[in-house]
Amino acid sequence: MELALIALLGGGLALDATSVGQFMLSRPLVAGALTGWMLGDPALGLLIGTLLELYLLVSFPSGGAQFPEGTTATVVAVATASASSAPGALPIAIAVGLLWGQVGGFSITALRKANGLMVPEPADEHVDTTRLATAHLGAVGLDFLRGVLITGTGVAIGRVLVAQVGESWPLGQRESLALILVGAAVSVGILLHDLGGFRRRRVLFATGLALGIVGVRFL
Amino acid sequence: MSALSRRAITSTFLRSFLVQGSWNYHTMLGTGFAFAMLPGLRRIFDDDAEALDASVRRHLDHFNAHPYLANLALGAALRLEADGTDDQIVRRFKVAVRGPLGGLGDSLVWAAWLPTVSMAALALWWLGQPVWVVVGLFLVVYNVGHLTLRVWGFRSGLRDGRDVARTLSEARLPQLGERIKSIASLLVGVLAGLVLASREGLSDAGPLWLVPAIVCFVGGLKIGHRAWRPAAIATVTAIALIASWGVLR
Repeated sequence: MELALIALLGGGLALDATSVGQFMLSRPLVAGALTGWMLGDPALGLLIGTLLELYLLVSFPSGGAQFPEGTTATVVAVATASASSAPGALPIAIAVGLLWGQVGGFSITALRKANGLMVPEPADEHVDTTRLATAHLGAVGLDFLRGVLITGTGVAIGRVLVAQVGESWPLGQRESLALILVGAAVSVGILLHDLGGFRRRRVLFATGLALGIVGVRFL
Repeated sequence: MSALSRRAITSTFLRSFLVQGSWNYHTMLGTGFAFAMLPGLRRIFDDDAEALDASVRRHLDHFNAHPYLANLALGAALRLEADGTDDQIVRRFKVAVRGPLGGLGDSLVWAAWLPTVSMAALALWWLGQPVWVVVGLFLVVYNVGHLTLRVWGFRSGLRDGRDVARTLSEARLPQLGERIKSIASLLVGVLAGLVLASREGLSDAGPLWLVPAIVCFVGGLKIGHRAWRPAAIATVTAIALIASWGVLR
């Protein structure tokens, strides 16, 4: 029952990424907190959402580009980590989430190809408006089903994996978190690259860095 | 030809939230655009089935834009249809605006607004704010910008029709994007500082962790987006190897 509810949540949130609204409920930060709240641990949900948000800061659904799907990645990661109190639950959940984000990305590409076969052709002699609405809303429904399927499968695999190897994880909590943050540092670098590069933004970046370091001490 | 009713306009605006619902590699937003236009087109051509059919096929054509700024084209196309504009002019108008609306939207929203609000929320989390504050502020602040852009775009398009290009240039969206990117640059620094110095941060695990983190940061800075996938693969591989080592130990 819980797996079905998580899968439905994943499907619903996945819709927000492209098909419906784009209110950013699908961002890891929000999806993580919502999944955690649903599973009774919003703080864990937000921790995982924050870590995956760091990785996916530079990933957004732009044009025809293939991108990792942050929503299902996050829901899968939170549901994986919440199923176990083993020391390896967090890093394994993050790894499963990152991997599953790629699988989600491939499934979006497949869905877009399928949509191309479903929608009415502009060159058709006559376009029935009911068929147009059915094809369009049908594609939205397919996206929901895709999200449900990807999330459900990911959670099932992730939970088995954590149950098998989570207990024998050799690193402590601080080292595990540091390992995840080291990988996320690449995204922070990419973001600064996208914002104009170090040479152009160095004064603002350095000011922010100082504010961040000093802020931690005082707040 | 009937004038547009408030109901048809509202319905078209609400449907714009689903404009990407059937995104595909053939017509991209084309089907979604025609789907959103339907209430307005039905009202405009309520007594002429043939004209309605022709107008729907016109809007099924390939179209792509940023989903928020697509509202500008939607509003303008609705105005052009209501004014009885020649179909070739409507087609040419849509071809002319799709590039700028895509580029401007990506640069303003995906490359500036979204990362800025995300980083502000991440910074709040690192400063120890509760879950509801972090998530609530992120959603409220982001969507104030999001909905403002959608409503402004739709109203401007509906008001100005073909002259919407002038409205777009007067809005100075690239300059706005640049200002937001300056704030984002400051926030990248703040976030890096918090991740380095906070409890639960990198320094907490020991100074040795700073070395690979700085190498990764510089790698991302120099290589750009091409560095993302190798970094994700390396992280997953490292976790898998450490887990395997734990099992075999």
